[in-house]
Amino acid sequence: MVKFVVKRLLYMIPVLLGVAFLVFAILSLTPGDPGTIILGITAKPEDIASLNAQLGYDRPFFIRFFNYIGDIIFHFDLGTSYQSREPVIDSILARFPNTLKLTIFSMSVSSVIGISLGILSAVRQYSVLDHVCVITALIFACIPGFWLGLMLLMLFSLKLGWLPPYGAGSLRHFILPTITVSMTSAAGLLRLTRSAMLETIRQEYIRTAKAKGASEKRIIVRHALRNAMIPVITTLGTSFGASLGGAIIAETVFAMPGMGTLITTAIRQKDIPTVMGATLFLATLFSLIILIVDLLYAFIDPRIKAKYRNGGKSHE
Amino acid sequence: MKKTLAVLLALCMVISMTACGKSSTDVGSQNSGKTDLVIAVDADVDTLHPADFSTTVEMDVLNQVYDTLMYMNPDGAHEPEPRIAESYEISADNMDYTFRLRKDVTFHDGTKLTASDVKFSLEMYMNSEYQGSQVTGLKSVDTPDDYTVVCHLENPYSPFMLGICSVHIASKAYYEKSAEEFANTPVGSGPYKYVGRNKGSNITLEAYDKYYRGEASIKKVTFEVIPDQSTMAIALQTGDVHFANIQSSSMTQLQADKNITIAEVSTSGFAYVSMNTEKAPFDNVKVRQAINYAINRENLVQVCFDGEAEVNSNICSKSRFGYSDEQFQYTYDPEKAKSLLAEAGIATPYDLGELLVAEKYSNLATVIQNDLKAVGLNVTIAVKEFNAYIGELTSGNYSITALNMTLEGDTQMLEMALTSDYIGTANNARYSDAQMDELFRQAQAETDTDKRAAIFNQIFTKAQDEAVYAILGNPLNLYAYNSALKCPEIPFEGLYSIYDFSW
Repeated sequence: MVKFVVKRLLYMIPVLLGVAFLVFAILSLTPGDPGTIILGITAKPEDIASLNAQLGYDRPFFIRFFNYIGDIIFHFDLGTSYQSREPVIDSILARFPNTLKLTIFSMSVSSVIGISLGILSAVRQYSVLDHVCVITALIFACIPGFWLGLMLLMLFSLKLGWLPPYGAGSLRHFILPTITVSMTSAAGLLRLTRSAMLETIRQEYIRTAKAKGASEKRIIVRHALRNAMIPVITTLGTSFGASLGGAIIAETVFAMPGMGTLITTAIRQKDIPTVMGATLFLATLFSLIILIVDLLYAFIDPRIKAKYRNGGKSHE
Repeated sequence: MKKTLAVLLALCMVISMTACGKSSTDVGSQNSGKTDLVIAVDADVDTLHPADFSTTVEMDVLNQVYDTLMYMNPDGAHEPEPRIAESYEISADNMDYTFRLRKDVTFHDGTKLTASDVKFSLEMYMNSEYQGSQVTGLKSVDTPDDYTVVCHLENPYSPFMLGICSVHIASKAYYEKSAEEFANTPVGSGPYKYVGRNKGSNITLEAYDKYYRGEASIKKVTFEVIPDQSTMAIALQTGDVHFANIQSSSMTQLQADKNITIAEVSTSGFAYVSMNTEKAPFDNVKVRQAINYAINRENLVQVCFDGEAEVNSNICSKSRFGYSDEQFQYTYDPEKAKSLLAEAGIATPYDLGELLVAEKYSNLATVIQNDLKAVGLNVTIAVKEFNAYIGELTSGNYSITALNMTLEGDTQMLEMALTSDYIGTANNARYSDAQMDELFRQAQAETDTDKRAAIFNQIFTKAQDEAVYAILGNPLNLYAYNSALKCPEIPFEGLYSIYDFSW
């Protein structure tokens, strides 16, 4: 197991280098230079050139790239933002807690709602409850996030005055964004859990369990759910990773500074160090989460655990 | 479980229904005795450096923290009012500006503001890529004593006074202590001192009790970053936000609310069609005039600006120094456009090629495309990402385009759009005319107001005659604020001072 983890951690190095190179190349090859973007078209060309030189943007692509990677590896330095002239890591650390909180809240809400209703729908297939769940899920999967967010704002902030319309200062500020983000993903999870469960329930070993007289609860929790959980956990893991990138829409609508708005603003301003820093930070987290998901499989499915013991080689 | 779902579904319906309803929250009457003010801004600041800043939000915040030597309403008609400098003199040859400073001005850290701070600030602006243009023409600064500052110019340059009125005076000692803190935790001598900021969320200021003009009426100011326009409008309606620069799309919603007052402020910014005069057929003045006649500006302002723009075909906006009704105005006249095209030898329907725009100007492009089609000129709209677009625009790699531009400050700044020195930057028409260059040179050296106005009259008459651009109008700056807030008329360009506000 330890060997497996170490191996996977080592795999992360080429992955991150690849991500770094791709993002750096895309940002550098797209038109526009930071000097012009910061100073505007009314600025004198010599001012723009001098600002670009100050930012180090006048040097060739490969030199900038290797300097950047070198700074990360040898100085643990993610660079300085072109726009704010402050260390990128500061901007990330100022925004990441909001994103992390929002991710944890919305993932918890959506997995509780999505998984539990998904199981119920599957167990009571074709019942009224099942139909209601499936249709509601379809509706929420289709509602655009910004619209849902605005409607929630109008109801709870403007009409009822219960919740603050913007900001991230207290837990109350997270209620509306959490609902906005979790509803869409709960809908997806519900549908996924339902279909995974339905598939498992039809397996022969479930019939065997029924035949030997196990209670319905035991069959569902011990036999069916465990097997149905593999695809659900995969989805949960990737969407957890993805939402660490920030729920851009919720962040914008509720004026909550997070990773999503940090990256999108930086892209528009061609703030290469900020985009790079934030992307690498997220890519690292994402890789770690995928690793955790893979380890979770082992706890759910002993077959996978056995595979890991053999150093990742399959002996089936 | 069925119940929960029923509740969920019901909630869903309630939400969609109430969304159409009108707000009934009453906030206007509860404001008496309030001393705090919340201002919504649509973007965070990247820096609070007094000279190396670039965005409007940064300027709006810095203008409250830093004071200037003098204050001048940027519409150019006003006499400068004293601020840190109580008086000023201009030498007979217009080369030396002497400012005499008040002796009771202190920075927020308690230190006295002296001539060396002014010299330091002016020199910092001279070396700034960001705001260096504010001190164009300045050669050197002398400080004969602690409260006298003499600015020596390279040549007589009449826009100097307006430029210097926007220079933030910062503390030299504070800069020498820490350049990093200087850029992030500003210490000024203005009516508000900086308290702190949460990156991406808000910036807090507090009234400076030793401000030499007396402590401000509003004691605490918070700038809240709210990027989404709809959220900003809702926050204004709930009373969480008291003042905001809004976009025309929120107007209908906010006008319906009696607790909100809306101020429309003129600006010098302009929406325009730029034609590359280096390329046929735009090198022909008749074609440019025809395009000026072909566009229905009233309709365009309704469609693209929700009516919130002043129709104007002159590059000089109406509140600006140098504008006169004598200068020609193009009006909507498609017949005239057609006959001008015929005179130019253009057989319609004629294909003008690509109308290149950035995404955010595509609504302008659609309206213009229709108007041009009505006079027999066909264009296809090509949309580029903003930075790529700017590259094509400044390098002249386009034939016709539509966009917005702001050349604020003295009217002299319009030389950026009209003189040959600025081909490759803001002279997008790539218009090069020796007489125009000369007129602008005269205007910058002329200090007599009437004579200078006469020169500008010549300039804009010429610009209109030659139809260098097809200017469409000046978008208004819209401010929505809580009706209980006493907010005097917001100056031209929207350069507001919270010091003037009160509850």
